[in-house]
Amino acid sequence: MMVPVRCFTCGSVVSRHWEEFRERTREGDEDPGTVLDELGVERHCCRRMLVSHRDLVDVVAPYQ
Amino acid sequence: MSGADGFEVEFVDRSERSARFLVRGLTPALANGVRRAIVADVPTFSIEHLRVVENSSVMFDEMIGLRLGLVPLTTPLDDFELGDTVTIALDVEGPATAYSGDIQTSDDLVRPADDDVPIIQLKENQRLELEAEAVLESGKTHAKQQGGVAVGYRHLQQTVVAGDRDEFEDDDGPQIVRGVIEEGAPEATDDDVAEGDLVLTDSFGNDLRERYPGKEVDVEDIPGAFVFHVESDGSFSVEELVLRAAESIGSRAVELRETVAV
Repeated sequence: MMVPVRCFTCGSVVSRHWEEFRERTREGDEDPGTVLDELGVERHCCRRMLVSHRDLVDVVAPYQ
Repeated sequence: MSGADGFEVEFVDRSERSARFLVRGLTPALANGVRRAIVADVPTFSIEHLRVVENSSVMFDEMIGLRLGLVPLTTPLDDFELGDTVTIALDVEGPATAYSGDIQTSDDLVRPADDDVPIIQLKENQRLELEAEAVLESGKTHAKQQGGVAVGYRHLQQTVVAGDRDEFEDDDGPQIVRGVIEEGAPEATDDDVAEGDLVLTDSFGNDLRERYPGKEVDVEDIPGAFVFHVESDGSFSVEELVLRAAESIGSRAVELRETVAV
């Protein structure tokens, strides 16, 4: 659904970086690893939160 | 900086939300005590109860409540006591995304630490309106009340050059160290460092083979020296977090002494 607010493992607030990450990697063509480095998401626990996320709000929206 | 009872604190890396510092004169038990105090003893504000007026979003009230609870709120600890509450309101109408920055608070001192945390994406004709109570509690009650993020420590390690590496020996890959090392062999490096200087392992790709080319290097723990890495979730600065944690250990030690005194 929505991107988790915090990293499941360490608790750092990762959701702040989601929109920029999505724009640059899914809509843009940048390398996800480089984008995460630039966003300051260093630990691999936090990186997997963004890399493995998929927005589902649009999919469930019609069903209320 | 040096304390009255022999602790020596030296900062390696320092910013508002993250710091790395070396403490000498600690026992392993006390080092872990400091870590636990940072995580569990320093209270922060976090949203606890919701009164939902309208929620026509795609998420249940409980899911919104969980997400709101995880948003870090600034916590001026001098002005509040454990258990104090602050009233919070959120009213967003779609099509829009509700961000933590849309949260209104009854006290200007307590507000979201970041304004760009997405709470819920709202479509046409969807609306989220709620009131909530944020409560000041310690990390013992719930992980959302923890002020420290990824708090940990390592032994400070010293590098010692044991001799030259045999150039015909099989290459057994990189020799990895992480965190901070104390330079024990400045003559074997290209850097301009003195013996006893602290060096971030990031500066040489965490690989001792890079730093001491052609040398056989041993790594030894330095007794009583710990390198802490502390990050704050934004509720307050790292400095305040660590000082409050140390204060809480101190006050509990005093309490113990008074309780068992004859």
